[in-house]
Amino acid sequence: MFKVILQSHWSWSKLLLGPGTVAAFALPILAVQEAGSLSDPQLSAWGTAGLLHEMEQWGTWYAALAAALGLAVATGAWGSDHRGGHVYALSLPLERWRYVLLRYGSGVVLLAAPIVFFWLGALLAAAAIELPNGLHAYPTALATRFGLAALVAFSVFFAISAGTARTAGYILVAVGGLLAAKLLLSAAGAAFDPLAFVIDRLTSWPGPLQVFTGRWMLIDV
Amino acid sequence: MSNAIETRGLEYRLGKSFEIRDLALNVPEGSIYGFLGPNGAGKTTTIQLLLAMRRAKAGSITVLGKPVPQEITAVLARTGYVPERPHVDPGLKIEEATQFHGAFYPSWDAAVADSLLIQFDLDRTRRIKRLSKGETGKFLMVLALAQRPDLLVLDEPTDGLDPVVRRESSHLVHEVERTCDWIGVMDKGRLVAEMTTDSFKSGIKRLRVAGAPATIADPPFVLLSRQPGDGISEGELWVVRGWQAPMRDYFESAGARLTEVMDLDLEDGFVELLRTARSR
Repeated sequence: MFKVILQSHWSWSKLLLGPGTVAAFALPILAVQEAGSLSDPQLSAWGTAGLLHEMEQWGTWYAALAAALGLAVATGAWGSDHRGGHVYALSLPLERWRYVLLRYGSGVVLLAAPIVFFWLGALLAAAAIELPNGLHAYPTALATRFGLAALVAFSVFFAISAGTARTAGYILVAVGGLLAAKLLLSAAGAAFDPLAFVIDRLTSWPGPLQVFTGRWMLIDV
Repeated sequence: MSNAIETRGLEYRLGKSFEIRDLALNVPEGSIYGFLGPNGAGKTTTIQLLLAMRRAKAGSITVLGKPVPQEITAVLARTGYVPERPHVDPGLKIEEATQFHGAFYPSWDAAVADSLLIQFDLDRTRRIKRLSKGETGKFLMVLALAQRPDLLVLDEPTDGLDPVVRRESSHLVHEVERTCDWIGVMDKGRLVAEMTTDSFKSGIKRLRVAGAPATIADPPFVLLSRQPGDGISEGELWVVRGWQAPMRDYFESAGARLTEVMDLDLEDGFVELLRTARSR
């Protein structure tokens, strides 16, 4: 049962997942290449601050890729069900929660490929660079963070995508409401910004999106 | 005989404009039950309630002896369902969709699926989105039948059939007449009639009656409609239900003369039944 769900999920996600996996492998290598040629003997002479700044800039791309992969796999999870108005899933002799779990599980399995390739890319990049004294490479920690972020993004988009158009409408209304409240309060001269407050709650510990913020460093002190 | 499907006091509301009221449906085991009704009568909604795709507001549903929705998983494992609109992933090939479907059914018979795909001339390598409506309908039938179901639920089974097959079936009501031994007629969320096809057909007649008074007293049949004559022959045209040959004598006692008794097919009977139900 899981096998056919996985196959179906793969058929809906492969067009995005394939390039995403390649990108996951290539990004850490590109980050190091951008910092300087991998075989450049002068690398050790770089200023530590410059290298760290370069690495930090690439961190945004890691987070963005993790989010994009999560979105792509989550969309693929429900693609076939949305096309059939969820009638097919409802007609299967399977409890709804089990079906959702199977769909979720297949997404996690599919995400494993880009996460592993990201880790391999990070290991390769770390091995290829000659680091100045005092700096260290953290390929496994970065890959773990990348994997966690991809899973969080997948889970969030999976939950949204599983919902009906009405659910999407509620989310849009909530976002619109926050924007409207921000504008009204701003016009009234109030110091409180509800949109910033919500974003802050989501992206700072223990908010679920905290994993996307902060420093995504392949090389750090 | 017990019922494969039974509902009691079923109530459902969809928005403000449509509701199913006090639905008591009885589909006997071993029967082929034709569910008739005009568009928007509530047939598809009722089917979806029976298969727990919608939740009823009140009432009880029993399918294959099990309460729905409480034991819907067990019911669906024994039910083949072909919906009004194709519901399988259109991006899959026939082969893939067949394997996908079969993985969920313990009674799945791959040999039956193979044989039906050949019989229906369906190419396994084609994607479902490339199939015509008729081919899609056939493929959905393959999936439903290869489950070896105890109950087969077909929603608009002739919809989308190719012209040859459509000509053969010509009209859904005629299709029902040919294949079903029970019929249920639904209109505006109510079950208007439920009976065997034979009793439905044999009891509904068109009569030509001459010299009938404006009002008639206590007829032994149900007078569904009464219209002026067609100008070809003398007398009015009546459509009656519950007709039996000995009832001819009634007309003489009522001061009228019965000149002709005409058979009505299921479609005419269906139309008259709806007309009567709506006039109540």
